[in-house]
Amino acid sequence: MIDRTLRQFDGDWEPVSVPNNVQIDESAYVYSAAAFELCRSDAPVAVRLGRGSQVNDGTLFDVGPLGHVEVGEGGMLNAVCILCDAGISIGDYTMISWSVVLMDTYRFSLNVDHRRDELRALPFRDPRRSLGRAPARPITIGGNVWIGFDAIVLPGVTIGEGSIVGARSVVAEDVPPYTIVAGNPARPVRRFTHQEVQP
Amino acid sequence: MDQMYPLPAARWASGNIPDNVTVGLNTLITGPKAFQRFRGTRQPALVIGQHCTLDGVSLAINPQGFVQIGDYCAFYGSIILCELEVRIGQGVVMGWNTVISDSDFHPTEPAERLADAIACSMLAAGRPRRAYPSRPVVIGDDVYVGHAATILKGVTVGAGAIIEPGAMVTRDVPAGMRVMGNPAQLIGPAEEEP
Repeated sequence: MIDRTLRQFDGDWEPVSVPNNVQIDESAYVYSAAAFELCRSDAPVAVRLGRGSQVNDGTLFDVGPLGHVEVGEGGMLNAVCILCDAGISIGDYTMISWSVVLMDTYRFSLNVDHRRDELRALPFRDPRRSLGRAPARPITIGGNVWIGFDAIVLPGVTIGEGSIVGARSVVAEDVPPYTIVAGNPARPVRRFTHQEVQP
Repeated sequence: MDQMYPLPAARWASGNIPDNVTVGLNTLITGPKAFQRFRGTRQPALVIGQHCTLDGVSLAINPQGFVQIGDYCAFYGSIILCELEVRIGQGVVMGWNTVISDSDFHPTEPAERLADAIACSMLAAGRPRRAYPSRPVVIGDDVYVGHAATILKGVTVGAGAIIEPGAMVTRDVPAGMRVMGNPAQLIGPAEEEP
């Protein structure tokens, strides 16, 4: 069990404790400790927030026992829901919009028998929470990525540097660097030219 | 499997469960809005099995609606909009912000819709609502519905199917299959990796 300490942020009124394995850079901004209410990772570092990163109102780190989340320098999370049982890494100066869901796990096994076993055990736990044992595949999001509102990034996805994910997209496959994807499921819409990338 | 006897009675964390709702033992309902839009008049209007975890749900059942939910279901922030009938099997998982709707709730044809909008307005003056299409939704046992998926009227989802997050399900899903997208398309068997 990871120790939790009450940490208050500027203007924060939520009496929520933050696990000690959440590392927040001095220059990072966190709207409220409530973002870490469901952070229950036993990893040495559950969440690391880089230099100058922002965790704005409504963001939730739902990090299971084995999860680890890394937010790079200047990363911006606006009301992002992060479901993590393996690893989620977000690159430098990547901006993520409101109501985006980054999930590296389906939280329940996709195997019917395993799912049934979990559902039979769940109602006898207090609180009724997943043990984070369903298969999970890490998500890697490069630097300078921009993800539009309400998008969903599914387990195992890698999003390359400088790419854009359109609003309400569901990203099931890897996104190459400097590519715009959109749709459900997300498909490439166009690639940035060399001139656009390095003017 | 862990057990505890006697099993605790069903409970809703935010108040009393309406009289015409039947809920099995050890079922836990949370969310202050669970019954805010519950207007069911049937006896019963809602039947929920045992050992369910209905976390932050909204059970919006219209006067003539009937909803049945099997044992061992786990719903998180799910919204069920029922005009007619919604039947959900055992061991069904529904992720955050999923919506099940068995009705359009308004007519599609413009003139009818205008008359309905007037009947719904503050200027209705007793004008009756217009008929609109509703068809029952059936979700089989062991179905997994991902975050923010939507299941629309008349859809039957077969046992063990996987609805990917964000999917918009407008047609039946065969048992043991996996669908994703808007509109949802078959992408393979339930257990194959995407």
